[in-house]
Amino acid sequence: MNTPLDHDSSPLRYAEYVLGVLDADARAEVAREMLISDEAAAAVTLWHRRLQPMSEEIPSVQPPGRVWRRIQQSLHREAPAREAAPPARGGLWGNLRFWQGLGLGASALAAACLLLLCFSWGPRVAPPSASVAFMAATITQSDGHVGWTATMDLERARIVVVPVASPSFAPGKAPQLWLIPAGQKPISIGMITSRTPTTLALDRALLSRLGPTASLAVSVEPGGGSPTGQPTGPVVATGTIGAASG
Amino acid sequence: MHPNPSMSDAADERDELSRLLIRVAAGDEDAFAELYRRTSARLFGVCLRMLVEHGEAEEALQDIYTTVWRRAASFDAARAGAMTWMMALARNKIIDRLRQRRESMPSPVVDLDGVVDEHPGPALQAEASQEYRRLQECLEALESRQRQSVRDAFFSGSTYSELAARCQVPIGTMKSWIRRGLLQLRTCLDA
Repeated sequence: MNTPLDHDSSPLRYAEYVLGVLDADARAEVAREMLISDEAAAAVTLWHRRLQPMSEEIPSVQPPGRVWRRIQQSLHREAPAREAAPPARGGLWGNLRFWQGLGLGASALAAACLLLLCFSWGPRVAPPSASVAFMAATITQSDGHVGWTATMDLERARIVVVPVASPSFAPGKAPQLWLIPAGQKPISIGMITSRTPTTLALDRALLSRLGPTASLAVSVEPGGGSPTGQPTGPVVATGTIGAASG
Repeated sequence: MHPNPSMSDAADERDELSRLLIRVAAGDEDAFAELYRRTSARLFGVCLRMLVEHGEAEEALQDIYTTVWRRAASFDAARAGAMTWMMALARNKIIDRLRQRRESMPSPVVDLDGVVDEHPGPALQAEASQEYRRLQECLEALESRQRQSVRDAFFSGSTYSELAARCQVPIGTMKSWIRRGLLQLRTCLDA
């Protein structure tokens, strides 16, 4: 009898992901699927709700105080950026909460500020208004560390991608940045690096798809970019796009 | 946790955790400290149980909470409770760690019949949530090898091949036990 149980692509893979029985490759495959499909993400959430009550059997154990101190230290490494941010002047810069919400690293925030100030120099035709002029995202690596920050200047149709961590890639491999509208296929934005900030032009047609439901992802591709127009290597970092208007 | 919370206490606690997490998303450090105070012992228990080694469990806990701080904005209270969201994040981190280190670790052989902690004690049952009781009923309805395999997988974070090696059965047999167990659990829980 040929049942769905015989296929590794069975819908049970979401349950297997939550249960923890998949090997590293199969786990990465489901994680990637969750990024591009709301349905997959919802299925995984549902299985978490079904199976997690089992963890109530595990006795609580008070962690040693040093763990909290280390957590605070790692957060406070980011804190100076908050104080060093330019004074409120409305719009993007005034929205400190927004930056705090992103949890940007100090160097990343400083670099992004500098780059955007350069771009934004000179008189603006329109005063900062309620309309969204910038959008931003932190692109977080699978280890939880911020890999890059991306800031989109919608007026000038460009995106600045600033590396925070400096992940290394195998020779001949390079990170490629993708825009993923919710539930749709990834669209290539371009190649980036893990060492220097990159500015990429944005297709104006792409801009209409930038919204709270879109996300960014970085995959590892051959140096010249994915040969297929879709990610071919592992997705190493992801982030959700948010409006940066004040 | 309260020794014997009533249903409404449990619901209040859940709402309170969600409110804290939403404040964390806005960068509120006091809310983050309170969230840690209320939830870290549960998550640390899980880290210790699955990773065993104390130092690594501490590292994992640190990693989990710094990620909670960074990703709190992606918490959606309409989809899952705060504890479910954090526990999902914790288990993902822990299982990823297990996958990274597994190659260097020989897995001990386990006789399924020798697994003792299959049934939680009465003290736990008194404070268990409604969801836990429901899941327990559905687990009890499974054939014993299916139940034990699903439970062992959940608590150890082991892969199919590791579980099969530990129980000394072919991997296909282990997959079949677990998948049939999961299918039956879903039917039972969603009924």
